Amino acid sequence: MRFVVRRLGFFLVTLWAAVTLNFLIPRLMPGNPALALMSRYRGRINPAALKAIEIAFGVNNHQSVLSSYFQYLGNVARGRFGISLTFFPDPVLRNVLQALPWTLALVGVTTILAFLLGTLIGLLAAWRRGGMLDSLLPPIFVITSAFPYFWLAMLSIWLFAIKFHWLPQSSGYDIKDNVAWTWHFVGDAFRHSILPALTILVTSIGGWILTMRNNTITVLAEDYVRMARAKGLSPWRVMWTYAGRNAILPNLTGFAMSLGFVVSGAILVEFVFNYPGVGWMFLQAVENQDYALMQALFLMIVLAVLTAILAADAATAVLDPRTRDIR
Amino acid sequence: MSAPAFGATDQVATPPVGPAPMVAEIRQGRWGDIWRAISRNRKAVAGMILLLVFVVLSIFPGQIAPDDPTAEIYLPGLGPSWHHLLGTTAQGQDVFSQLIWGTRLSLVIALAVGALATVLSVLVGVSAAYLGGVADGILSLLTDVILVLPIFPLIIVIAAYRQNSGLFTLIVVLGALGWSYGARQLRSQTLSLRTRDFLEAARVRGERKSYVILFEILPTMTSLIVATFLGSALYAVLTAAGLQFVGLGDPNSQSWGTMLYWAQNGEALFAGMPLWAIAPGVCIALLGASFALLNYAFDEISSPALRVRKLERARLPGRASEPPPAVGEVAEETVLRVEDLSVAYATDAGPVIAVDHVDFEVGRGEFLAIVGESGCGKSTLLYAIARLLGSPLPGEIVGGRVLFQGRDLVLMDDSQLRRVRWRDLSVVMQSAMNALNPVLTIAEQMRDACKAHSDMSKSEIEARSREVLRLVSIDPVHLHSYPHQLSGGMRQRAMIAMALLFTPDLVIMDEPTSALDVVAQRSLMMQIKQLQEKLGFAVVFVTHDMSLVRHFSDRLLVMYAGKVVELSETRRLFERPLHPYSRGLLDAFPSIHGPKVRLTGIPGAPPNLAKPPAGCRFAPRCPQATARCVSTEIPLYVVDGASVRCILHEGAA
Repeated sequence: MRFVVRRLGFFLVTLWAAVTLNFLIPRLMPGNPALALMSRYRGRINPAALKAIEIAFGVNNHQSVLSSYFQYLGNVARGRFGISLTFFPDPVLRNVLQALPWTLALVGVTTILAFLLGTLIGLLAAWRRGGMLDSLLPPIFVITSAFPYFWLAMLSIWLFAIKFHWLPQSSGYDIKDNVAWTWHFVGDAFRHSILPALTILVTSIGGWILTMRNNTITVLAEDYVRMARAKGLSPWRVMWTYAGRNAILPNLTGFAMSLGFVVSGAILVEFVFNYPGVGWMFLQAVENQDYALMQALFLMIVLAVLTAILAADAATAVLDPRTRDIR
Repeated sequence: MSAPAFGATDQVATPPVGPAPMVAEIRQGRWGDIWRAISRNRKAVAGMILLLVFVVLSIFPGQIAPDDPTAEIYLPGLGPSWHHLLGTTAQGQDVFSQLIWGTRLSLVIALAVGALATVLSVLVGVSAAYLGGVADGILSLLTDVILVLPIFPLIIVIAAYRQNSGLFTLIVVLGALGWSYGARQLRSQTLSLRTRDFLEAARVRGERKSYVILFEILPTMTSLIVATFLGSALYAVLTAAGLQFVGLGDPNSQSWGTMLYWAQNGEALFAGMPLWAIAPGVCIALLGASFALLNYAFDEISSPALRVRKLERARLPGRASEPPPAVGEVAEETVLRVEDLSVAYATDAGPVIAVDHVDFEVGRGEFLAIVGESGCGKSTLLYAIARLLGSPLPGEIVGGRVLFQGRDLVLMDDSQLRRVRWRDLSVVMQSAMNALNPVLTIAEQMRDACKAHSDMSKSEIEARSREVLRLVSIDPVHLHSYPHQLSGGMRQRAMIAMALLFTPDLVIMDEPTSALDVVAQRSLMMQIKQLQEKLGFAVVFVTHDMSLVRHFSDRLLVMYAGKVVELSETRRLFERPLHPYSRGLLDAFPSIHGPKVRLTGIPGAPPNLAKPPAGCRFAPRCPQATARCVSTEIPLYVVDGASVRCILHEGAA
């Protein structure tokens, strides 16, 4: 129970740090980038929205930093991120919520798939040390994990969309379609997601394979694996319940740590594919100097990463009885 | 039970399983050794060569590149030719030249960020662990928060406010945010070092904390620090390229990321200039791969377990030519007969023989104890008998036979072995904490064994599990506990209970009591003996503590440097040890009865098995050694039914 409380506490501290960074960064920058922007938009957006932006970026100098900080925290807590300049006059939150499902479907599913597949391959490679799988895959993925995501994305567009015309080259769906829950649309969206998904999969799977392989090799030298063999258990049973079950535990912790890397890669993949998710919108916001949207998206990304970490924690608690008892 | 009987255990540390003392591993913190290990590792060499090429390119771009990278002097969009190896850009610049000039910035960013992040992670990680308390709490929290904050979007946010990020900002921000992973690892490594002897010694000497950190802690973590550097350099290369690619770098700078930015803007892929977009990516990937390869290789070098060593049988001394002797008649009352058994380990320096031509027999219901110092090969012998050596554990049987119930275990394949295991031959290991699977309950681990060897029903298994727990005086309520929920003594008993599930003919025990305190040791020994008498199984018991088995074992086998030096009845060996080594072991214990004598122990240390001394292996430490001892191989002499490998008994045989 204390474990849960501690993790939730950590979750809140990190979220608070992210919000505070959002508040501080524009104030710490030399000159005030928002100020210039504000003057451009004055009179074109309603006063309440302007007020929110003033608070967010510290343009209004009549207020003390501290009181505007608390006001900012209050606004964030109520989901008031202000008005998006890109999608004027929509509030920021609505746009963010529109982009979110696309990213969850693409990045979320791909990341889980990469984790499961990579863990499985890593386990098998370590189990058959020096075998075909082991001598082929880990070295290959050491190299592919050094590929820049966006470059691989460009390359796959060139190869599969431009050269061979197998798959669509950009966007999340055919723009001639209506966004609706029809078979046609879902199938189309799936076809659009294949290339970006494969890009993320190929570049992120290597890390899981290598760490799982190394974990398994370490675990295979443990006494309990020797004991399992001494007990005459079937190799299958030894591999899954004795080696795999224990080797995956540090990998789950690693999952939380490597997630930031996957997220950054996914942002660029969305950018290259013009995929209508959070990452693409994030870079659009940067390009349009839509700071309110950018801040909200940044928080959204932090929130997504934290949620995934909590999920990894929960999985660890299920798989490792020790974390349930101690603390 | 009088405590002094165990006084000698301090002298011999708990032996590590496996060949730890013999394997010439790299001692951490020795640059020379690390360098040698790197040059032997193929992945490391490949990584080094790649990195070297990029370093040369970044130092002499003007000499190597044919053109000025910014000069827009050619036709735009040319294909590859001898003049333009990779064609030209949409602006009419030479792609190949741009590529070479771009090396410098990417490399500078990688190395500078790597260095900055490494310094920060060492500072934070080591101080957090070393200072402890509140400082540790705050630093760890900071580390964890930065670790989970997605860095790339954060850098984009910062860069967005700055409009474009200069080189300096980029390096500082990447370095300032990229240290947390390394810091976390360094912290846990330092924590594990904190209680080590050499640090205690430094503390007792009154060294300053800064001295301890710099000269005692850091050198032991060389490989982890190098890994941190390589990891953050790789991350910097990719992140910087990503930033430049989305246009948040300086668009006029010469770098691979910037090239990709222009290539994307110039629609290089659509406009038939694919090499413009492909080549910079290949370079980023290659530089990244060089760091990744070095990192991977370093991982292998610093944790030798990750490497595979092949035993070079050809280099074993005079083995192949010996014809195997015929199997003799195995008497009905003999459970186990070990004949001429040899085990070798593969090391970087070639094979090392850890168990050298060992012979012995164990009768039905007999208790045989194998004693010797750490690293004498007794545990190796034990695991060789149980056929538990081999991948992933080091060591291979290179000769001899293990006849169990008249059948040779050495010749059995895995499925034949599985049929013998646990039903007829079970194993109890040194530390139940490590030998029990931490994620399964005791019940599940018992069920595993039952299911593998019988078709007992669920309720039968439950009943049998409770029964064996009661045998070792554990309340069956603990059956559904996880190992970590039991006390040390209970875990050890639970493991013994598990070994008795099928009442096997032979139970092999590897120091099953060494993890326990003196009182618990004694009571566990009594219990093992009682169970043995009740159920009639034979025991082969390995220990470094002779006094422990004095009243329990029927016979004692003394091993030294991989060889049997004496095999005798326990009582007789205690009364009249034949081999000087056995006497030395006995003299290391205080006698409860008899006159007061000075405890001497045995001066010196066991020999390095990679280069065993000629003749008697104990001669260099033996008070009675003569010139003849080292000139000839000493056979086992039989003296009144006992065997001894000592030239002093040559005449008596």
